[in-house]
Amino acid sequence: MSLQSLLEKEFHWSLRNLLVLVFLLLLLPGFFAGTSVVFQDVLPRDVPVAVAPADEEVNETNLDIVEGTIATFTDPKRVDSVQQGRAMLERESVYAVIEVPPDLNDPSADAQFRLVVDGAIVPFLSPSEIIGDVLETEMDRIFDAEVTAEREVVGAEKTLPEYLFPTFLMTLVIFFAFTYVPYNLKTEAAVLDRLRVEASLESVVAAKLLFFTGLTVVPIVVFQAAALYYGYDVAALAPGAILTLLLVFLLVSTVSSTVMILSRFSGVGLFVNVTAMLGVVALSALAFPLGFFSSLRTTVAQLLPTYYAGIIARSTMLKGASLGTFADWLAMLIGCLIAAVVALEGSIIYYRRTS
Amino acid sequence: MDDDSTDGPDPEGSRGDGAGASPTGQPVDDGTEQYIELDGVTREYGSVLAVDDLSLRIGGGQYHCLLGPNGSGKSTLMRLVLGLTQPTAGEIRVPDIVVGCGFQTPNFYPSLTVRQNISVFAGIVGATDWEWNRTVVEELRLNRALDRTAGDLSGGFGRKLDLALAFIKKPDIMLLDEPLGALDDVSTARLLEFLEWYVEQGNTVFVSTHRVTEFEGSLDRVTVMHQGEIAFDRRREEMTLPDDQSLQAEYVEEILEREGIESDSLD
Repeated sequence: MSLQSLLEKEFHWSLRNLLVLVFLLLLLPGFFAGTSVVFQDVLPRDVPVAVAPADEEVNETNLDIVEGTIATFTDPKRVDSVQQGRAMLERESVYAVIEVPPDLNDPSADAQFRLVVDGAIVPFLSPSEIIGDVLETEMDRIFDAEVTAEREVVGAEKTLPEYLFPTFLMTLVIFFAFTYVPYNLKTEAAVLDRLRVEASLESVVAAKLLFFTGLTVVPIVVFQAAALYYGYDVAALAPGAILTLLLVFLLVSTVSSTVMILSRFSGVGLFVNVTAMLGVVALSALAFPLGFFSSLRTTVAQLLPTYYAGIIARSTMLKGASLGTFADWLAMLIGCLIAAVVALEGSIIYYRRTS
Repeated sequence: MDDDSTDGPDPEGSRGDGAGASPTGQPVDDGTEQYIELDGVTREYGSVLAVDDLSLRIGGGQYHCLLGPNGSGKSTLMRLVLGLTQPTAGEIRVPDIVVGCGFQTPNFYPSLTVRQNISVFAGIVGATDWEWNRTVVEELRLNRALDRTAGDLSGGFGRKLDLALAFIKKPDIMLLDEPLGALDDVSTARLLEFLEWYVEQGNTVFVSTHRVTEFEGSLDRVTVMHQGEIAFDRRREEMTLPDDQSLQAEYVEEILEREGIESDSLD
C-alpha cells in the first residue's frame, strides 16, 4: 500500500469536487463568520417598544422626552393611542407598550407610567422588569411629578418550555423541509429519465411536496401529545398553527426543491440547503424576540417570511390568537409561496433546457 | 413465450411500412402509420457536436436497429427522441402514440421492490392490463425477483426491471438503448424472441446498440451513426452481404473506412 498514491488519489478527487470543497471550506465558514456580526449584545437594547399617550391630555413634548430617553435601551415607536400600541403588541410588532400619563410637569401630581408586556413572550418578561425599573427612575428624575411605573402583563404568563414549543416545532418543520425533502428528491435522480418520460418533473415534485406536507401533521400531533403529557398550555393543533406550519413547510420545501433542481440533484444542492436552513433558523428570531443581540438581526429577521410565520404560530398556539389578526402576514406568506412555485417552475424549465 | 401469445397478425403484413421502404431505408408512409420524425436535428454540448443535422423517421412497425461505435451519438439521439434533451437546431415531431423506452442506465426506484416499481409505474402510465404486465414479467424472467429490493438486484435483473417498466404500457414504438447490457445468454435469447414477437404484433422496436450481431437475424432496418451523422440507413434486404460476412463485420468495415483506417492494419 502506498500512502503517497492514496494521498494523490485524494488530491485528484478533491480537484474533481472543487466546487463542493470551496463551498464547504470557504463559503460556509465565511457565511458563519459573517453571521456572527448580528449577535453583538447580550442585553436587549433594541427591543421595539410602543410609546402611547395614556389620554388626550398628554402633550407632544413629553412624549418626545420619553421617546428620547428610552431610546438608549429600546427601539421606541410612537403610536397615537394605547389601543394601537396594544394591537401592535398582539402582533409582536412591539414587545411592550409604554403608556405615558398626563401631568408630568405638575410637581404636585402623581403620574403613573404603565409598561404593558405580553405574558406569552417569556424571554422578554425578565428584561421588561428591568426596563420598568429604569423607566421609573429615569422619568422621575426628568419630570416634576411624582413618577411611578407599573408593569402590566397581558394574557396568561407562560413558562419557558411552553414558549419554546412553537419555536421547536417551527424549527423542526424548517429542518424537515431543508434536509429530508431535498435528500428525498436527490434519490429520484436514479429514476429521473423514466419519470420525465412517463410523467413530468412538475408532477413528481408536486406529488412529493403534497405528500410530505401531509406528513408534517405528524410532528405537530406529537408536539400536542407532549404538551398534554407535560401539562403545558399549548395548542399545537390550533387550526391557525397547523395552517401556518404547513404553509412554511410548503414554502421552504419549494425553495429547497428549487435549489436541488438548479444543482441538478447534486450534493452541492444538499450543502446549500443545509446552509440556508442554519441561516433561516438563526436569523428568523424564532427563539429570542427582536431587539436581542443587535439591530442588524432585527433588520434581517424582518426580511424573512419565517419570522412572521413564527409569530403567527406562537400567537395561535400560546394565546389562541385569531388568524384574522395576521391576515396581511398570511397573505404575504402565500405570496412568497406563489413566488417560490414560480421559481421552482423556472428551475424545472432551466433544467429541461440544459439537459 | 406461450404458444397462444404468438398468435396474431401475419408478421409480414403487420409490419406496417415493412412492406416497402425508400432506397435509403426510410419507411414508406402509407397514411396509416405514424412516425417519430427528426428533421435536420443538431445537438451540441459546448464544442462537441453530438448529433449533426440528422433526419430520420422511426416507426412503421419496423424492427429498426441504430448502430454505431461508442460516442457516435446514439444515446443522444435516443434522448432527443424522448424529449430528455432539447435539440440545438432542427425539429422532432412525435405523433400522439404510446412511446416506451428502456434506458442504457436502468431507471427504477432502488429502494422499492420490483413489484412496487412495476405497480408504481403501471399507475403512472395507466397500465392497468395486469394480464399483460404478468406476461411481461414472465417473458423477462423477473418472477423470482418480484419481492426483492430493486437496488439489491444484479445488473442483469436491473436491466430486466427497466425493460419491464418500458413494456408494461404496451408502447406502439419502443426505444431501447443497449437493452442486452448485463443480460445472461438465456435472458438475451428470451428477450430477443420477445422483441421479435412484439414487432410481429405491429409495434415498432428501435434498438440502439454498438453490437448488432444478436439482432442481425430479425432486423428490418439498420441505421448506422458515426460522429453524429447517419453513415448509412438501409433496409436489411437492401444490404447484400457476402455469405461469409455478417452485418456486424460490414458495419465495422464501414466505420473503419470512414475513419480512414484499413481493417487489415488491425491484424
